[in-house]
Amino acid sequence: MDILDLSIREMRQALEEGRTTPKELLEKALERAKKDDCNAFESILEKEAYEALEGLGKNSGPLYGIPYLTKDNFSVKGIETVASSNILKGYRPLYDATVTRKLKEAGAILIGQTTMDELAMGGTGMSGHLGYTYNPYDPSHKRMVGGSSSGSAAAMAEAVVPFATGSDTGDSVRRPASLAGLVGVKPTWGRISRYGLFPFAPSLDHVGYFTRYVEDAALLLGVLAGHDPHDMTSSHRPIEDYAAYLDGNIKGKTFVRILDIEESLSDKRLLEALDRLSEELIKRGAVIKKERFGKDLLESLYATYIVISCAEATSNDANLDGIKFGPYYEGKTYDEAMRKARTAGFGELIKRRFVIGSFALMKENQDVLFLRAQRNRAKVVARLNELLALGDALLIPAASGVAPEFEAGGDKLSDEYLIADNHLVLGNFGGLPSISLPLAFENGLPLGVSLTLAPFKEGEMFRLASVIEDITGLRGLSVLNRKEGNL
Amino acid sequence: MKKVDLPLLRDASARLLFLMKEEEYLTLLEEFKILVKQMEKIGKIEGLEDYEPMTFPFDVAIDELREDEPAEVLAREEALENAGSTYMGQIKIAKVVG
Repeated sequence: MDILDLSIREMRQALEEGRTTPKELLEKALERAKKDDCNAFESILEKEAYEALEGLGKNSGPLYGIPYLTKDNFSVKGIETVASSNILKGYRPLYDATVTRKLKEAGAILIGQTTMDELAMGGTGMSGHLGYTYNPYDPSHKRMVGGSSSGSAAAMAEAVVPFATGSDTGDSVRRPASLAGLVGVKPTWGRISRYGLFPFAPSLDHVGYFTRYVEDAALLLGVLAGHDPHDMTSSHRPIEDYAAYLDGNIKGKTFVRILDIEESLSDKRLLEALDRLSEELIKRGAVIKKERFGKDLLESLYATYIVISCAEATSNDANLDGIKFGPYYEGKTYDEAMRKARTAGFGELIKRRFVIGSFALMKENQDVLFLRAQRNRAKVVARLNELLALGDALLIPAASGVAPEFEAGGDKLSDEYLIADNHLVLGNFGGLPSISLPLAFENGLPLGVSLTLAPFKEGEMFRLASVIEDITGLRGLSVLNRKEGNL
Repeated sequence: MKKVDLPLLRDASARLLFLMKEEEYLTLLEEFKILVKQMEKIGKIEGLEDYEPMTFPFDVAIDELREDEPAEVLAREEALENAGSTYMGQIKIAKVVG
């Protein structure tokens, strides 16, 4: 096993014992980044990374010398950051996102920016301005890695770095994590500051991240969490010692499975693995309950999500006009200049989403579209809280199966599969902490499982997830460190 | 609710200041048919009107006020750094009046 395949704790230990150096870690990470053939990168920041290495000094932060990647929608001062969209070409943020700043202060070294669905508005990794991002588990490049945090997921599955940032508005960290055999975390809404994250739909947007070990996920939240005066939605709640929860004790803990989600899935291997996991959890003292959410509510999730997210995005992204930033186009009038910039700058999917959002916000449509979606969100969250009151965590498949082929479709609205592959948005509607992690393999492709808990129960989430990781045996997974797993 | 047809979609995209290709409008029209049907179905969910529209997952209470003093200020040059068209320290656009 190479040093880059270890957990952050093990890397830190190797650094402290002189078995490696930050320079060696950086060189190895850059070497792997340059071998990427999945279109995972917007940029590889080699020069900047070596400058950061020199500036490390005696930094003794928890991520001292650890290389990482960031999704292309986190502001990095002075570095072109475009959210995989032509509308932002050339844009260089004037400040660091709080996440970028905190990671720098903790001693982490940014080595590159990763591709994504344009402006984070997609779930396939097909809509970014650099083209498709591929799933490293499929060398034929026929399968998607999911989105919108597609490049971060692909690079993590290639084991380029031990962690990468992402953002999660519907499931944009957790579903790609599932399709790429990774740990994907979306904490409670407000747990991590969003200052400097390009907004998509602020009532649903969360900062998230990818790791290959649950213990790394717990460590990272300790670094990233906390109130930020720059983000009034960030929580004042104290940051916990999340690693202290990793004691393996789940006696009496109750997992709630949701039958109507499982019944919407056709992947038998996934359901078998979920059953076996449940059996193992029971052997360790846990309780499994099986409940129903309500099919009508589950089938309403996608439309509700589309209306709310598109409406918020239309409003947020009105500033993308080629005037203040992005490519400027000459015009006889200012709106002609903007029209040229927006016509050339936005991809097809984004334009369709903006029209939907704008239509939903029109005065004559609000009652039956936007406000109805918001009411339904409230009803869904009320039901979600009822189920959470029955146990400690919801235990749900993290995707409908293995990574689908690109041919299976993009982000076009559909009347089919309304529940499967849309259910992780429950965590965004309620602002709840949620994690996905590897469950098993099917024909060489990863399957994932997810946990969703009550607000600010991240410590408990990591405790339960670490036990699942122990049961599956799927720690530190990547295409360079393949395992079959125990289920 | 307004009837969704191609002229409406063309008008909506024009208001949003971008043009779309003809086939893109057709795709969008199909998407609208699905979305409107699904939203009508949602409207029939029992008890929906008993819920207030949810704007954010939690209440965001602000219990502190900062002094009304500039904290972090961008220099004019910085503010203009990303603009494609500038003139004498300002963003330059086409003439608006007269």
